[in-house]
Amino acid sequence: MNIRAHVSVVFHLDKCIGCHTCSVACKNIWTDREGSEYMWWNNVETKPGTGFPTQWEDQENYKGGWVLENDELKLKCQKSKLQGLLNLFYNPNMPGLEDYYEPWTYKYEDLFNAGPSDDQPTAVPISKITGEQINIESGPNWDDDLGGSNLYAKNDPNLENLSQEEKDLMLEIENIAMMYLPRICNHCANPSCVAACPSGAIYKRGEDGIVLINQDKCKGWRACISACPYKKIYYNWKTGKSEKCILCYPRLETGQPPACFHACVGRIRYLGVLLYDADRMPEAMKVADHSLVESQRSIFLDPHDPKIIEAAKANGISDEFIDAAQNSPVYKYVVEWKLALPLHIEYRTSPMLFYVPPLLPVMGKMDNGIYEHAKEAFFTSIEKARFSTKYLAGLLSAGNEEIITSVLKKLLAVRYFKRSEQLHDIDKGAVEAIMREANLTEKEAEEIYQMTSMPTVYERFVLPPLQREEAIETKLDPEVCKGCTGCGELNTPKRGL
Amino acid sequence: MHDYFLFIGLPYVALFSLIAGTVYRFNSKKFSISSLSSQFLEKEKLLWGSVPWHIGIITILGGHIVAFTMPSFLQALVSNVKILYTFEALGLTFALFAFCGLIILFVRRLRNARIQAVTSNMDLVILSLLTIQILLGILIASLYRWGASWSTHTLAPYIQSIFSFRPDITYITNMPFVVKAHIAVAWLIILLIPFSRLIHVFALPLEYLFRLPQIVVWNSRRQEESVITAQIESESRRFFLKAAFGITSGLILFITGIADKIIPFFRGPELSKGEKGELLKQKLQKMKATIKQKELETERLTKDFIYISDLKNLKTDEGIYFIDYQMKPALAFKGDNGLPILYSAKCTHLGCTVTNKVKEGALLCPCHVSHFNIKTGDVIDGPAPKPLPKVKHILMDANNHIVVNIDKSKLDEYKVYIVKGENT
Repeated sequence: MNIRAHVSVVFHLDKCIGCHTCSVACKNIWTDREGSEYMWWNNVETKPGTGFPTQWEDQENYKGGWVLENDELKLKCQKSKLQGLLNLFYNPNMPGLEDYYEPWTYKYEDLFNAGPSDDQPTAVPISKITGEQINIESGPNWDDDLGGSNLYAKNDPNLENLSQEEKDLMLEIENIAMMYLPRICNHCANPSCVAACPSGAIYKRGEDGIVLINQDKCKGWRACISACPYKKIYYNWKTGKSEKCILCYPRLETGQPPACFHACVGRIRYLGVLLYDADRMPEAMKVADHSLVESQRSIFLDPHDPKIIEAAKANGISDEFIDAAQNSPVYKYVVEWKLALPLHIEYRTSPMLFYVPPLLPVMGKMDNGIYEHAKEAFFTSIEKARFSTKYLAGLLSAGNEEIITSVLKKLLAVRYFKRSEQLHDIDKGAVEAIMREANLTEKEAEEIYQMTSMPTVYERFVLPPLQREEAIETKLDPEVCKGCTGCGELNTPKRGL
Repeated sequence: MHDYFLFIGLPYVALFSLIAGTVYRFNSKKFSISSLSSQFLEKEKLLWGSVPWHIGIITILGGHIVAFTMPSFLQALVSNVKILYTFEALGLTFALFAFCGLIILFVRRLRNARIQAVTSNMDLVILSLLTIQILLGILIASLYRWGASWSTHTLAPYIQSIFSFRPDITYITNMPFVVKAHIAVAWLIILLIPFSRLIHVFALPLEYLFRLPQIVVWNSRRQEESVITAQIESESRRFFLKAAFGITSGLILFITGIADKIIPFFRGPELSKGEKGELLKQKLQKMKATIKQKELETERLTKDFIYISDLKNLKTDEGIYFIDYQMKPALAFKGDNGLPILYSAKCTHLGCTVTNKVKEGALLCPCHVSHFNIKTGDVIDGPAPKPLPKVKHILMDANNHIVVNIDKSKLDEYKVYIVKGENT
């Protein structure tokens, strides 16, 4: 057993209001430089929708992630490493600027410099790349809130597995439902970007599992961009290097949660340590699609088990880290309550970012053209939900609907339980039956309620001690490690000749 | 004069710049090294430009390197006209291929506004130089044909003279202008490699073919060490059974191997029929000898007297060997008085058998050269401590009666017997 600690996160989609505060926080800190204007290390997508870059989930086009071939995991973007090298000249699966958007600003000075005229002066949009006037055809959050649109929602790759009837139902004007999907780098336990990087510039940090790109080593071969199935690696067109979410490791190392976590208005984000068995990766990702979620869960270890603690200590994991793992909200959501699920685990990268699927869209229903809550029960039954479990399963459980149903049942049971406890307007026997069916105890329901509705900041973010001072031993010259971890660059990044 | 500058000065400046500049950039300006791909900004024209350009130029450069490093090999090859034609045709094709790609890339860079945004002056210089260079190459290939052949004894020696630090421009002073220009521009491009995007040639990630898929880097060296140690421990535990199995089977094999050698050693070698027969014969002889000895022993056990010889057969100067009652060799002589003298032939020193020939009145033990008096048995010289013991004997007459009174006239009839008892 090779136990490693992983700083992993949970996003509670029920609480996401789609305000993009996270994206803005991230943009202001990290990607407001020339060459990175179009990057959104953190973005919030509307589902169903095409996402960013457009249709990123269409792996037949982008060829991201791993595929299982004869019990071997192979990169989808290359049949052999030699092909990986041949793709240096031209990468056939790489998204281009048109798949994101051309960053632009407005010619504000026109507003002030315009001479007297019959018309109001306007500020025309100009490209941030060329400086020329452009027609804006897409932009950040271009399909925001367009859950039912023919242009965006209809082209969601996740709808492919749904029958025409189910699709129609989801896009029918009175039935339209949508959810928000905030996305950052998943800091996968089996990252395909690392495996695809020809220069060996991308690496996983041993202590916390954060995936980083050494900017000095990166030579801009762009293999990672197509290899990452989540399209969370971006090419900086100015510096000729790839960049990605760094989970704000400089903030983590000074005891602060990442900026997007800190800024989150809905408090949907949780951060904590998971202990996992690195020896079982990538074997755990070599199972059939429908058991991938279970298989991934099985590599996470119980931080309360004395045997695990001993083995973790043998691997150099400090007491403080184990402490953080024991109090980790992520462990509770993912392993104890089994509520949080990885996004598109069928790409087999074992993402370490987990989502609690949204329950809210199931509440409403249409009856003779009148929108109302369910009649037969207080809340709508999951089966009659507008947002089909099949769609959610395509997103969060590699198509396994049972997993989604059991999660939704649990979430619903918590609601019944609290409703009946606080307002006494639901029959207790009915609540008990629902709880039994959801396999939920009262204690658990109370805990889930507490962690979901009113956690303190210290319960949401259980940061392990990642301080650099701890990492670099006093006996070492502090210069020794300079630039060998982190992003690698100490000088102002400047494009080479 | 300018020939000296272009073909001796410039090459060394270029090579120095190439080596020093590349080393400096890879050590101190790592961030600036990148393929500087513009595929993200524009992909369609890049596909039709970059791919033919790279395929063409890599092949052409490969051909040049072969020509300059192995000229005699190439000369031998192209002495076959068919091969020469093939080489020339292939070279020209790939050159045109590269040229088309380059022109597409050049036009793309000049006309696309997005690409303009990432174009430096150096990019334009390099693109111009490359275009000129490829054009010159194509001109040479078409104006001065069979370059694959004539370059081997003109250009190749020049290049080799540069690299062996004995620059010699006599090979190329009389070359046409186009060829000279091609060479000069080549040195210029080499000079500019470390200061341009061409540096990406040295960033070719061949190590990718051999590395493991995942890379983990530790911030804390202490934790990295403990992970490695724990890893090794668990590995060793995991492989303990395997190892035990391996060692056991190894031992079994080893023992089998040894047994395979030892058992035949004890069982003796496998023999042919002839050898077996020989061995059996030897055994038989040994058994016969043993039987003989046993017979002698029984004889000595059962009989009080044992016949040695007729007295007349004994000689004074040469003894007859016989076996005494102690089953040891003994000698019988005839004394001067005609009566027998019997000695034990076992030397009193270390037990060798004494010779039976009498020389100068003495018997010799050949082992350590002891001499014994034939008359008395006393030691004359040598290491023997005691005289030879006499063997007790009697004489019997023709009627097998023990002779008590010796009748000198009947000596020839007498027979010599030894008597049971100790030698004296």
